[in-house]
Amino acid sequence: MPYHEFECSTCIPERKKHAVIKGPGEDLTSALPEGYLNTIPGSITERGCAYCGAKHVIGTPMKDVIHLSHGPVGCTYDTWQTKRYISDNDNFQLKYTYASDMKEKHIVFGAEKMLKQNIIEAFKAFPEIKRMTLYQTCASALIGDDINAVAQEVMDEMPEVDIFVCNSPGFRGPSQSGGHHTINIAWIKDKVGTIEPKITGDYVINYVGEYNIQGDEVIMQDYFKRMGIQVLSTFTGNGSYDDLRAMHGAHLNVLECARSAEYICNELRVRYGIPRLDIDGFGFEPLAQSLRKVGLFFGIEDRAQKIIEEETARWKPELDWYKERLMGKKVCLWPGGSKLWHWAHVIHEEMGLDVVSVYTKFGHQQDMEKGIARCEEGALAIDDPNELESVEAMLKLKPDIIFTGKRPGEVAKKIRVPYLNAHAYHNGPYKGYEGWVRFARDIYNAIYSPIHQLSFLDISKDEIPTNQGFATQQMLSDTTLPEEVVSSREMRQYTGNYDCIPDYLNKTYPYMQKTPASEN
Amino acid sequence: MSCEVMNKERVGVINPIFTCQPCGAQFASIGIKDCIGLVHGGQGCVMFVRLLFSQHFKESFELASTSVHEEGAVFGALNRVETGVDVLLMRYPHLKVIPIISTCSTEIIGDDIDGVVIKLNEGLLQEKYADREVHLIPIHSPSFVGSMVSGYDVAVHDFVKYFSKKDKPNLKINLITGWVNPGDVTALKHLLAEMQIDATVLFEIENFDSPVMPDGNHVSHGNTTIEDLIGTADAQGTIALNRYEGGKAAKFLQKRWDVPAIIGPTPIGIRNTDTFLQNLKTMTGKPIPESLVRERGLAIDALTDLTHLFLADKKVAIYGNADLVIGLAEFCLDLEMKPMVLLLGDDNSAYKDDPRIKALQENVDYDMQIIMNADFWELENRIKNEGLELDLILGHSKGRFISIDYNIPMLRVGFPTYDRAGLHRYPVVGYAGATWLAEQMANTLFADMEYKKNKEWILNVW
Amino acid sequence: MKEKIAQLEDYIMKHCLWQFHSRTWDRERQNAGVLGTTMNILCDEPVANETREDRCYWVDAVCLADAFKSRYSWLAEMDKAAMKTLMQALKERIDHLTISGSLNKELTDKQY
Repeated sequence: MPYHEFECSTCIPERKKHAVIKGPGEDLTSALPEGYLNTIPGSITERGCAYCGAKHVIGTPMKDVIHLSHGPVGCTYDTWQTKRYISDNDNFQLKYTYASDMKEKHIVFGAEKMLKQNIIEAFKAFPEIKRMTLYQTCASALIGDDINAVAQEVMDEMPEVDIFVCNSPGFRGPSQSGGHHTINIAWIKDKVGTIEPKITGDYVINYVGEYNIQGDEVIMQDYFKRMGIQVLSTFTGNGSYDDLRAMHGAHLNVLECARSAEYICNELRVRYGIPRLDIDGFGFEPLAQSLRKVGLFFGIEDRAQKIIEEETARWKPELDWYKERLMGKKVCLWPGGSKLWHWAHVIHEEMGLDVVSVYTKFGHQQDMEKGIARCEEGALAIDDPNELESVEAMLKLKPDIIFTGKRPGEVAKKIRVPYLNAHAYHNGPYKGYEGWVRFARDIYNAIYSPIHQLSFLDISKDEIPTNQGFATQQMLSDTTLPEEVVSSREMRQYTGNYDCIPDYLNKTYPYMQKTPASEN
Repeated sequence: MSCEVMNKERVGVINPIFTCQPCGAQFASIGIKDCIGLVHGGQGCVMFVRLLFSQHFKESFELASTSVHEEGAVFGALNRVETGVDVLLMRYPHLKVIPIISTCSTEIIGDDIDGVVIKLNEGLLQEKYADREVHLIPIHSPSFVGSMVSGYDVAVHDFVKYFSKKDKPNLKINLITGWVNPGDVTALKHLLAEMQIDATVLFEIENFDSPVMPDGNHVSHGNTTIEDLIGTADAQGTIALNRYEGGKAAKFLQKRWDVPAIIGPTPIGIRNTDTFLQNLKTMTGKPIPESLVRERGLAIDALTDLTHLFLADKKVAIYGNADLVIGLAEFCLDLEMKPMVLLLGDDNSAYKDDPRIKALQENVDYDMQIIMNADFWELENRIKNEGLELDLILGHSKGRFISIDYNIPMLRVGFPTYDRAGLHRYPVVGYAGATWLAEQMANTLFADMEYKKNKEWILNVW
Repeated sequence: MKEKIAQLEDYIMKHCLWQFHSRTWDRERQNAGVLGTTMNILCDEPVANETREDRCYWVDAVCLADAFKSRYSWLAEMDKAAMKTLMQALKERIDHLTISGSLNKELTDKQY
């Protein structure tokens, strides 16, 4: 096995099995790190907890819900205003968060009574909201409060409300991934099938594992709507609680982030016979394939083809402008889970970037299988990286850019590696054709930042160039490009708006007649 | 016309103003050199706090977790503290101080972190790290008690209690700043320098604002040393600027080592800064120099340009850490403004006996409300449903949507202020802080006047 | 043959996701469903796509067959028998990579 041992981790030898470099002639049967194992205490991991995996990642993007955590205030505070999953109801779920505010007396005497009071207070404060999710935390799990019983009691007394309980305390499992699993299974078990689906279209899908980061879901919805497809529910970005209770009514589950949401797709297949189609919403070619597959499934491939052609014609010249300038740049692709495989191959093919390393904070071996399969030879794959290993890898690999989270991005800044936020994005959305160009634009702006260039000058030692008052990104990016590329009239930079989402939301979609080809 | 002090009546929290104790203990621990806090609990208790610090400072700080999982929650997780300490010491050769910070989960399961420290001191440290100076400090900061404010207070106390040791008395003073920004520490040290006073500052956090350097350093950290902490027992006095953020440590030093303590006031505004300087003078016998008379004069000059013309009668809501909120309210009153609602985080029962709050109750000549154990809904509900009219909000970034949704201009102040650039570099304390605060408030109001076309023309001839 | 399989394998590994479901039983089903149908398409044989499940294999198979045909011109020169042998060998190879030879310890978990 081509394990990679970090110098900083020789003293914790069990770490050795968590990093591999796929060499020539090697495949997944010889190169796969361990995954989803408990973190070594004190190693300064980047992982979070199962509570945040349930509440922060999957629960909260549901937009018309009171999200109440039963525990001390910190869990709620910490998972509030640290994500960019927007919604089309003025971001209710981003703005409001609720804590039962468990105190010492509750730890001693129990907190079920005050939880009930909390629930009633919250509904009273927001009379227009009739749906709630209750999240267990470490504290409420350990004192053994029966949250389900409290929820049932309230529902019996207030028949107009519906409450979902998610028992995913922070200590459950090695990372946030444990929480993804728990909330998936709880939702299918307790909520799916409890409401009649409102079917308004001929072709009906659930869009699963999509969290509407900076509007990803909105941009993808546009394509589905233009194909005449009804998105019955989105799990969970911009998703509605009652729509998600009706997931059993779809013909097909279209799955993006398999890491966080394949569980519910698998269960929907087993319980309701709805097939699971894994897709990539990132990158022109994978997206085209994805739209085509959905079209094929319903016998409306021509509609998909039309969108693919229109969108490609509109955006390809802009993507190519950036590709010419990003060719050969080295990337550390260090996201949380799914983006390591969503992006690994396609940023190489469509932007010319070389992925020198992938890592995953909370992914399983399955994610590494996908990621390593999609990487070129020689890429360093790291599971559950820690602070010192990340720094060692960056110093060794000298990437031109790193895609990671906000805080690790600050570490990269000091090592003078520009960073893009892989979780919340810089200026997304990044999905869809337009989104993919925005991603390329952000990468370009990061790598060719004139300020970034200045960070390499040591004014105490180096000769200071005194003949230059400024630089532009293009002065830095275009010096070595062939003349025909620089002066190309076909290629152009991104031409969309700072916020591209309102234009998508304002569109109208005429009903499309069911096509004979799809009758079967 | 009265100032009413009340508690939030609801049991729950809708949009919290503050987070829990472990965050405060972690904030204290990043102020100490060669120190990495080891938080005993789930990983989220560290990951999110690191994220919060990085949002506020745009820097990354090192903090570790014992990564407690199910089996630990059932059978106890002290073995993970032992491993955590060992792994930190093996991989961070410079490391000397490891506070072991408890959380709700490990307090509930009853993990004896004091006991494990004794065990490690007698075992691992002697066997494996005999040639290293290592200090393990248990800090009890259960999340279900107090808030990040009390967690900070407890941690500062525990650090001081652990290290302070009498040697030879000296002429230094201890200055315990409370939960402040690098810009505040710079401003405070400037005042001390002008007074020619040698002080131990708890904590030396100016380096929280750290540079991008040609050698590619990658760590931001505070600079308070073990020697600084040991020496606190020898000082001629302690001034703790914030009653609830460091006051406990000042009281400890007074009681245990006879170091006289002056607690408060938070030197926000001219008057409180004057008091701070008088306290320094009393404690050290050093005169207040002409340079500070001039500096104060510059501030008064700047404030005079703003008070009765622009700031007078402006209605303000203020929320955040209690000391900060009270200090800001006092300053606003001096500026002829009307703080209408003060929202003090957490359920600390001592707030109601705070002499500053008593003074407000006795002297405010319009209707003011002071809400204890407050959340953001206390503010939003008053605006949305009870007709509260405001000209300005003062507080940290977590309240941003109230400002946005109700079109009320807001000056970011406190912690965290992640939705504005670089605020941690500016002081709110001292004369410099008074000037900065008043001018920022005015500029915030000006921008709002122009945006809303509300007497925007008045600025034509100012 | 080995070289040809390596090319097809490379395409699948880099571009497809259907082979990486989370459990052994699903991977067996997926590999058989998608690769079996792809073989049918490449050999101009009728395919079952009446049930939703079959149809889901079929859409992945259509895209895979098209990608193979457009990228690997040597496919057009193969006769049906050779194609079947090739595709059978490819399925064995993918089964090996994703199931029998896989190092993924979660494949045998009993539940999702």
